[in-house]
Amino acid sequence: MRNSVLLLILLLAACGAPEPPLVISELEISRPMPGMQMSAGYFEITNNTDETTRITKVSSPQFEAVEIHETTVTDGISRMRELDALVIPGRSSVVLERGGKHLMLLRPIDLQGSVTLQFFSGDLPVLSVDYSFSKDERQ
Amino acid sequence: MNPRQFIIAIGLGLALAAGTFMALRMQAPSEPEFALVLPAPNPVPEFSLVNQEEQPIDQTVFEGQWDLVFFGFTHCPDICPTTLQVLAAAKTELQKKGQLPLPRIVLVSVDPERDSPEVLKQYVDYFGVDNLGITGTLDEITKLTSGLGIFFEKQQSDTENYAVDHSAAVLVFHPDGGFEALFSGPHVVGNYVHDLPIVMGGT
Repeated sequence: MRNSVLLLILLLAACGAPEPPLVISELEISRPMPGMQMSAGYFEITNNTDETTRITKVSSPQFEAVEIHETTVTDGISRMRELDALVIPGRSSVVLERGGKHLMLLRPIDLQGSVTLQFFSGDLPVLSVDYSFSKDERQ
Repeated sequence: MNPRQFIIAIGLGLALAAGTFMALRMQAPSEPEFALVLPAPNPVPEFSLVNQEEQPIDQTVFEGQWDLVFFGFTHCPDICPTTLQVLAAAKTELQKKGQLPLPRIVLVSVDPERDSPEVLKQYVDYFGVDNLGITGTLDEITKLTSGLGIFFEKQQSDTENYAVDHSAAVLVFHPDGGFEALFSGPHVVGNYVHDLPIVMGGT
């Protein structure tokens, strides 16, 4: 029995930890400004698979609604539009940043603790991440 | 003059010309690198609106100080707060460098339907003291924007969460109340820190 466990550990170590299919990094969520019922989320999302992933829905228990938006500035005009999906080609990353693609987080419910973001591809949950305001608190 | 003397004379002449050129260049004031300065200030059109304290204001509100004027709306979670943060950070940097006078930051709402003076006050106060928020009726806001070549357009939406397309530029108003220069996006703190003392000092 002891030998079996040792073998299993050795096999796992040899394989290494499996690479997660989707990874979120540099996550930043702004706090709603005083009197406002909305804030924005920014991050980099990396697709470690060979297939294109389409994030079609994002939800959060801490906000009534989350939408995927994109700000563009063309000919000096700033426009913000909702996107149907966040498309991440295989073995690629997409950056959500100020003045570009971003999450719009609407009508906060409870921001006392951390914020959880759940990402869906169709009805399939594909990723969940937590964010704590404390490290980037401005106020 | 023999050939050798001639070459020495030419060399001295060139050195003198180069020295004069460099001296003149060092004395010449720097030019703005990012701001577009208008050939002559444009007058601000007449309007009748309110500030964030709900006090009536007109075009004379721009007289007496330099203003950085941005057109946006409070229900804009991305580019509007980002731009105002850049302006506030630039103002802080200029203050650290001892720049006087410091410009005032002004947000003109292009969404008066949702931007009441009360909402606007909380918003502009977030980015620092002495900021000015302007709102009022759509007609009066349009008088101001159209006279300055600023575009905005409300987008149709099934929900109250609509967007407003708007010009991304920041305008610089002279203390005489004239539209003097503009910064197109993207807005970067260093661009303002470099150019504003030149624009504001050139009068």
